[in-house]
Amino acid sequence: MKESLSLVQRFSAHPDSRCWFVSWSPNGTLLASCGGDKAVRIWGREGDSWVCKTVLQDGHQRTVRKVAWSPCGNYLASASFDATTCIWKKKNDDFESLTVLEGHENEVKCVAWAPSGNLLATCSRDKSVWVWEVDEEDEYECVTVVNSHTQDVKHVVWHPNQELLASASYDNNICVYKEEDDDWECRATLQGHTSTVWSLCFDATGQRLASCSDDRTVKIWKDYSNESGQVELPWKCVCTLSGYHGRTVYDIAWCRLTGALVTACGDDAVRVFKEDETASPDEPVFSLAAQVTKAHSQDVNCVAWNPKEAGLLASCSDDGEIAIWRFQEEH
Amino acid sequence: MSGGARLENANPVIFQRSGERLLTASEEDEDVHDPIDDREIFDLIRSINDPEHPLSLEELNVVEQVRVKVDDAGSTVGVEFTPTIPHCSMATLIGLSIKVKLLRSLPDRFKIDVHISPGTHASEEAVNKQLADKERVAAALENSSLLEVVNQCLSSRTM
Amino acid sequence: MAADSTLLLSLVEEFVSGLQDSKAKDAAKGVKDGQFTVLQLVEALGLSLTSSQAPTRARGVQLLSEVLKECYGELTEREVEVLIAFYENRLKDHYVITPPVLQGLKALTKCTTLPPGSAVSMLRSLFQDVHVQSLMLTERACVYSMLINLMETREAELKGLGADFVFGFVQSMDGERDPRNLLLAFRIAKNIIDRGYDLGKFTEELFEVTSCYFPIDFTPPPNDPHGITKDELIQELRGVLTGTPKFAEFLLPLIIEKLDSDVPSAKLDSLHTLTACVSQYEHKDLAEFLEGLWTSLRREVCLDCQHHLCEPDLKLVWPSAKLLQAACCASNRASHIVAAAVMPSLIEQYNSRTQCSHRRTLLEVVQRFVQSVRTSQPSVSDESVLSAFRDALCSIVFSALSESNSSLQITATSVLISLAQQTGLLLNSDIELAVDHLTRLLLTEEDDRVSAAVVECAGALAELHPAAFITKLIPRLKKEMFSEPMAQDHTEPSQQHSHHAMRQRCLSALAAVSKQASVVQESTPVLLEVLSSAHTGGVSFSVDEVVLACRSLQRIAEQVEDTEETGQCFHSVIIPRLLSLALQAALQGDSSPGVGSPLVEAAVLSAMVPVISSSCSRLQPTLAAQTASRAVSLFLDGDVSFLPDNSFPSHIQLLKKQQKDSWSQSQMVCLLMGCVCSLPRSVEVPQIDQLLSELEEMSCSCSHQLSYTSAAKCFAGLVNKSPQGDSLDSLIQRTMKRVCSELDSASSSVRIQAFTLMIWVAKALLLRYHPLFTTLTDKLFSLLDDTDLGPMAADGFSLLMSDFTDVLNRSCHADVRIMYRQRFFSENSAKLVEGFNAATQDKKPNYLKALSNIVNKLPKQVQVTELPALLSLLLEALTCPDEGVQLSTLSCLEPVLINPPAALVQQLEALVNRLIPLICSPAMNVRIASLRCIHALSHFPVHEVLPFRARVLRALAKPLDDKKRLVRSEAVLARGEWFLLGSPGGR
Repeated sequence: MKESLSLVQRFSAHPDSRCWFVSWSPNGTLLASCGGDKAVRIWGREGDSWVCKTVLQDGHQRTVRKVAWSPCGNYLASASFDATTCIWKKKNDDFESLTVLEGHENEVKCVAWAPSGNLLATCSRDKSVWVWEVDEEDEYECVTVVNSHTQDVKHVVWHPNQELLASASYDNNICVYKEEDDDWECRATLQGHTSTVWSLCFDATGQRLASCSDDRTVKIWKDYSNESGQVELPWKCVCTLSGYHGRTVYDIAWCRLTGALVTACGDDAVRVFKEDETASPDEPVFSLAAQVTKAHSQDVNCVAWNPKEAGLLASCSDDGEIAIWRFQEEH
Repeated sequence: MSGGARLENANPVIFQRSGERLLTASEEDEDVHDPIDDREIFDLIRSINDPEHPLSLEELNVVEQVRVKVDDAGSTVGVEFTPTIPHCSMATLIGLSIKVKLLRSLPDRFKIDVHISPGTHASEEAVNKQLADKERVAAALENSSLLEVVNQCLSSRTM
Repeated sequence: MAADSTLLLSLVEEFVSGLQDSKAKDAAKGVKDGQFTVLQLVEALGLSLTSSQAPTRARGVQLLSEVLKECYGELTEREVEVLIAFYENRLKDHYVITPPVLQGLKALTKCTTLPPGSAVSMLRSLFQDVHVQSLMLTERACVYSMLINLMETREAELKGLGADFVFGFVQSMDGERDPRNLLLAFRIAKNIIDRGYDLGKFTEELFEVTSCYFPIDFTPPPNDPHGITKDELIQELRGVLTGTPKFAEFLLPLIIEKLDSDVPSAKLDSLHTLTACVSQYEHKDLAEFLEGLWTSLRREVCLDCQHHLCEPDLKLVWPSAKLLQAACCASNRASHIVAAAVMPSLIEQYNSRTQCSHRRTLLEVVQRFVQSVRTSQPSVSDESVLSAFRDALCSIVFSALSESNSSLQITATSVLISLAQQTGLLLNSDIELAVDHLTRLLLTEEDDRVSAAVVECAGALAELHPAAFITKLIPRLKKEMFSEPMAQDHTEPSQQHSHHAMRQRCLSALAAVSKQASVVQESTPVLLEVLSSAHTGGVSFSVDEVVLACRSLQRIAEQVEDTEETGQCFHSVIIPRLLSLALQAALQGDSSPGVGSPLVEAAVLSAMVPVISSSCSRLQPTLAAQTASRAVSLFLDGDVSFLPDNSFPSHIQLLKKQQKDSWSQSQMVCLLMGCVCSLPRSVEVPQIDQLLSELEEMSCSCSHQLSYTSAAKCFAGLVNKSPQGDSLDSLIQRTMKRVCSELDSASSSVRIQAFTLMIWVAKALLLRYHPLFTTLTDKLFSLLDDTDLGPMAADGFSLLMSDFTDVLNRSCHADVRIMYRQRFFSENSAKLVEGFNAATQDKKPNYLKALSNIVNKLPKQVQVTELPALLSLLLEALTCPDEGVQLSTLSCLEPVLINPPAALVQQLEALVNRLIPLICSPAMNVRIASLRCIHALSHFPVHEVLPFRARVLRALAKPLDDKKRLVRSEAVLARGEWFLLGSPGGR
């Protein structure tokens, strides 16, 4: 069996600027990107190529760091260094600004929708994670501010099917939160990385969490809480991938269709790892299945698997470009 | 960083500036490829203005050629700088200025690491971590008052 | 009401006798709620207030005062009036009662219902009955607060008190020690000054009572409970002292006195205060104190600076030294004082330091001092200020010259120059020692910067002290230069190289020291001997070395003092010797080609030309005429009688066509040019017609480039100086006819020669504004369309506009009219534009090149005014594929871009569009020049260039990775500037 990562298309997405993040719409037909040009762009496939469908400008005063689609695909949230989060609503083929969530003291680093679509999480350099509730009238209300990190919070991600939230921070730790009596509490602090944790993602079942860090490693954490009831620390690191990445690993994505793990690295490379299915679940083994060492001419900031089309991958970089890749396992 | 505050190190030792790089015949030869070398990187940063004194980083010995390492083929640059005093609150700003100067002056392909010379600053690790975090650097440069100070450090002073 | 009065009485009772403080609050609440009035309270207090026990009375008043503190806003005017009368009365009571009375009065000063006149009456009672400084801290604060409150609301009334108010205040604050209270007191004083209260005869008192705190000496107690800083106090007090020029007569003497303080902070405070008052006061306020201030400041500066000079790590050494040097320059006396004070410590510092960088810094300081002493010396000087330090200074300099650190050596050479320039300072033995050191360095020092400094130093010293150079340096250099670097074949290339480098240094040193005639007499024979040895092969010298020897002779010819003696030397020794050597080499070259004396090399001959032309241009008329006639008879008639080493064959015909097209003799025409084209215009060149005709012949027929070009230049040089008139006109017409016939014949083998003659004659005529010039211009323009000569014609415009060092320049006494370039430009630019428009596509580049050649040489002012008309053409020229055109256009654009005229700004878009592609030109020089232009664009008005920022930054990213470092560094500069555009802190 041989795997390969082949380039489908490469295009300039945020000229003269960085492309920080890309996100697929839930049905996999659209790709949203954001960057240092303060804009969000929506890309769609036309024939064989990806074209810009619309540009969301004037929503933010500074860099747009991340974008997130609501599970229904009708809303888009954008987090910006201007300390705000914009909610955009799809209208015909365009998006209009619905509301602006204010409250963070400084740069908002990440925004994520819960699978239910009723909750939204944001995090910021102000060290806090905020959870917002959305009602039927599209009204947003902050329900919780959690201050479990001692430094800026880089990333937040929701569990795929439970109301469970995880965050990654400059303080080298990961926190996992759960709602308790209308309040969100940090239930576990995952320590192990020796520098900033830049990103996190759950696998399809939500049993495992992958994290990537400035320490140039990727760690796999497993949830043991279901098996033995309440344990002291329900999440344990079961695997560390080191020696593959030459610089900071900025992003990691776990394909919900194929189980492949992909990383975005400051050494300009995109790497795909596959799990050895024969290994013990408590000691999983991942091996490098494919890599493109010069995937971009500068740091790769983000990688995202298409949620519907197995193996289709988007990456973006400091060079302002987006690349679409196809990961294939040839038998 | 409040204006008009007292200088932390009001009376720094001043070091001699190195002369201009001497032009060689091969540099004037169209066909010869001149690799980017340590001296070239040093020349980029030595004239950066200190945020506090009317002096360059070279004159304050904050940067030295021996603390510059470039690998042209491997596209990496490492610079260590030495704050004038171990509690210098300007260390991050100086590091940021060096980083920004290199970002503006070097080809995109370069990976640029700016660190404090080991053992020369009380908050060495914290400053190094900040300087290495490109997200924080990017955000800092969108802060107009910080960018203003950095730009002033990078402006060519008329002597 | 009755019930209330019961309540009231019980409250009073509990407060006064029961000592329950909380009852005051209850009483205040009662008043606020309307349960009883303040006057009812006073009534209820009756017993307490009339008690024989002072503490009881005090307690009673305290209750009232505390209630007032809460309720002053609700009092009627009538009530206030009663209360004030009550309190004023109480001020005369026992002292224990005073504190609560003051509290009450303070509360009343805040009443808006204060009846007219009550403020004044309150203050009169206060000033009269209370000795403020006997009060406790809080009561004193209370008094100041009252004053502040009243000043805010009753200014007019208070001013009605006249100077009494000021006097009362002065008495109140006199002796205040608490910093918190001082802040209040200073505020009152500042108000008095700023708001124009009548100071009356109490100006000095007000000054005294405040200035006694100057300079502020205050250290906040640990933990700083009150948050008052020394700085706050300093600022407040300074505000008072400098607030009015009325204080000038008191303040300035005080500052002068305090400047002498031993406490640095006091000194500093004084200086800051001085600064503040100088900006407030007018000249008349300051005038009478200027002298005293100056004395203090000067002493202050000197002492302080001297201290800095001795700091262990030489902090602040530069600024201090500069100040002291400035002081040195003030007068001879000042320089004596400063030098005496500073020199010993500098010398000692130098001797005790081991680090080269420190020593170098000290040496530089020493040098500046020596120099500033020099500038302050009167022309007729008695003993030099520095005599006492001569010995020590010399030994420092000599030790530094012996160091291996090049910066130290270089600095030492400049100190040495400065010392030598001190009249009568150095002894002969010092000079001799110095010459020894310089000689040693010349012979051994490989560092280019050091040897350049040594050469300069030798030059400077030789001008003042030639003897030692004649006896020691020149013979030694000669000896070393003429030593062979061992057997040439076996020596290492590096040794050969260092031997060559040593000769190079010696040659330039020989030139540098030759400023006085006596030195020239010794140095020029050595240089000539280099040439003759090179020719004979006695000692082998490379072509490079021979060229350098010629350059040295040229430099001597240019710099030597103009005397009869030196003129003779050049006329009768050097020029004949050069001609003789060249002729010998030429004849030898003809007889045995291939053996090759270096003296037949074009490079050597071309280097001899300026030696001859510079010396001829400076000859006295008789010698000049003689030189001219000797040269002409040599070249026309083969007369070799004046040449030394005369063993030449007869029938030499240097200007005639040689056998087998040999050029070794014909090229000597360049030396003829050196002789006859640089003479003063008054000198008549003999046999001029024949000479011109032979030169014309040679330039139109010879195939050797140096020969025909030199003949053309020589012809042109003579034409330029020929008197106006028919004979000149017919000469030009005749020549043009010949030139044109060659040029018009496509098959002619000498078209290039003809063109060369034409362009040089054109140049000669252009310079003197000769009317026939236009005939030549027309021909030149027509040649731009010539398939073969077109590019050469375009380059010809550069020749027309350029200056040349060997001929047709002002120092050769050529007829050069001012602004000939502008004139040419204005007469011909339109023609060029027309020609460009009419030209076929393949010829257009010639026009663009011609235009950029012209514009490039115009003075910037002219460029700026003329550019708008030509801009579109120049922009066109940027897209011309010819790299020469691109480069020339870029180099004429760049200076204009630095201060761009409006027309250029309007063409910004086109400029950017055309410059950006040139960044990627295959030619390095074009890349560099285009980057410089783009750099210059960043200085255009910000709003004009800002729209291009992103595009330019993107374009400039690529050359950051150029393979040439020189290109990269231009790109870095340009990109750095463009980044700053529109960015905070940038532009």
